[in-house]
Amino acid sequence: MTQPITHHPSSYRDPSGFIFEKDGTIYRQVNKSFKEHFDHFIESGCYKHLIEKGLLIPYEQVNQNLTGDSNCYRTLKPEKISFISYPFEWSFDMLKDAALLTLQIAREALGYEMILKDATPYNIQWYKGRFIFIDTLSFEKYNETPWVCYRQFCESFLGPLLLMHYSKQSLQQLQLAWPEGIPLAVIKSFLPWRSRFFLHMYLHIHLHADIAGKSKSKNETAKTFSKQKLLNLISSLEILIRKLKLPDQKSTWSGYYEEASQRSDYLEVKKNIINQWLNEIPAVKTAADMGANDGVFSSLLAEKAIPVIAADFDPYCINNLYTSIKISKERNIQPVLIDLSNPSPAIGINNEERNSFISRLDADLILALAVIHHLAIGKNIPLKKVAELFHKAGKYLIIEFVPKEDDKIKLMLRSKQDIYFNYTEDEFIHAFEEYFFIVKKQQITGSLRTLYLMKKRNQ
Amino acid sequence: MIHPFLLYVDPGSGSYLVQVIIAAVLGIVFFFKNIKLYIRSFFFRSKKQKDNPPD
Repeated sequence: MTQPITHHPSSYRDPSGFIFEKDGTIYRQVNKSFKEHFDHFIESGCYKHLIEKGLLIPYEQVNQNLTGDSNCYRTLKPEKISFISYPFEWSFDMLKDAALLTLQIAREALGYEMILKDATPYNIQWYKGRFIFIDTLSFEKYNETPWVCYRQFCESFLGPLLLMHYSKQSLQQLQLAWPEGIPLAVIKSFLPWRSRFFLHMYLHIHLHADIAGKSKSKNETAKTFSKQKLLNLISSLEILIRKLKLPDQKSTWSGYYEEASQRSDYLEVKKNIINQWLNEIPAVKTAADMGANDGVFSSLLAEKAIPVIAADFDPYCINNLYTSIKISKERNIQPVLIDLSNPSPAIGINNEERNSFISRLDADLILALAVIHHLAIGKNIPLKKVAELFHKAGKYLIIEFVPKEDDKIKLMLRSKQDIYFNYTEDEFIHAFEEYFFIVKKQQITGSLRTLYLMKKRNQ
Repeated sequence: MIHPFLLYVDPGSGSYLVQVIIAAVLGIVFFFKNIKLYIRSFFFRSKKQKDNPPD
């Protein structure tokens, strides 16, 4: 039966069109009011150019008005994005590349007398192993005015990158606190005093914040702004962003596998068991590797052409994974920065604009390898709650149980009191059996750990 | 003319004015940078030509 259309809860700002869902497919309506800009976008060759360069998501035109809306000019069916992720789930280099992509698109569009009117990181998504721009309606005819989304760019891309660069910390949480961009005055107040001695930084943040803060009452009229000036502005932002970096830091977890691999052939045995089980699970089309570290097991699935969401809470691991994907051009792994004990919440108007991590995730297979003890012992989360988390996330689960006698747990318990009397394999089975059927179980030879293959119970 | 989409994407008061000022500064900066690059490329090219004399 045909279902009615549903407006996407995050697509309400732009009067030029909107995203909607019908029968499980995502469409984009172009409104009549945007006809002139959209026609120019297509006829000038701007769309074709951006598609050929792989910068913009392609769409198919649907020759039907699916909404029945009299304001409908065109209906587009964009290629599907398999998993939507948000900037507060990206590592430093991911946000940096998303920023540079936005600037590149703005520059390329100018060559076709078009200007990018929206510079939010939410318009960038992960598609076939890299970032791509998804908003086809963000281009309008260039009319010699300054860049309408310049401040938006500075607040939502440049600001977070600068704060991370100077503090040498991963501060993705700030983007969750200010999803529309961190106010310039806030960015300025957090930056060290010396930062004003760098010309591009002084101009885009310090001067920008001062002038924007002072002229609130003035009624601004758009000034004439030549294309060369706009290109200079973009170049200046590019120069600044290219210089930013997060220092290489050995985090707690980077180098984990190097160390783990020294423990006999632990990793190899684990890989063999998983490989064997993968053949027995029916049609795995999507997977999520929870606690992916640098993605050794995500790669195992990716090699079998299974798209994997590689989630980890360590920003350095995710950043390393991202940079290695950039080099290897692996298309099936999507790195995301997620703390399983506090996954991204739903945010925005009515808490519907951006969905929570758990509600976005619907994987056929979840890998939870060497992660249970970090949640149960590291974060004091009851096993039942961990089981509930994985139950919400996917249909099949491959989970590794790490017993208390394991060296890693002994190490953890050295610095904290052992209050984990319920952390036993029996309790683990008991907690998980409420949510899953245990299909298989195998001890990892050479270690005390056991792998479980489980199938979700429908509750 | 006020931009037609000012109402839905707030470019922020002052951000137009600041762009005009920044563009003026950048115009001067890039002008001198281009001269520097031109001179550098001139020397680099002439040095290269010296190193590889034509047959």
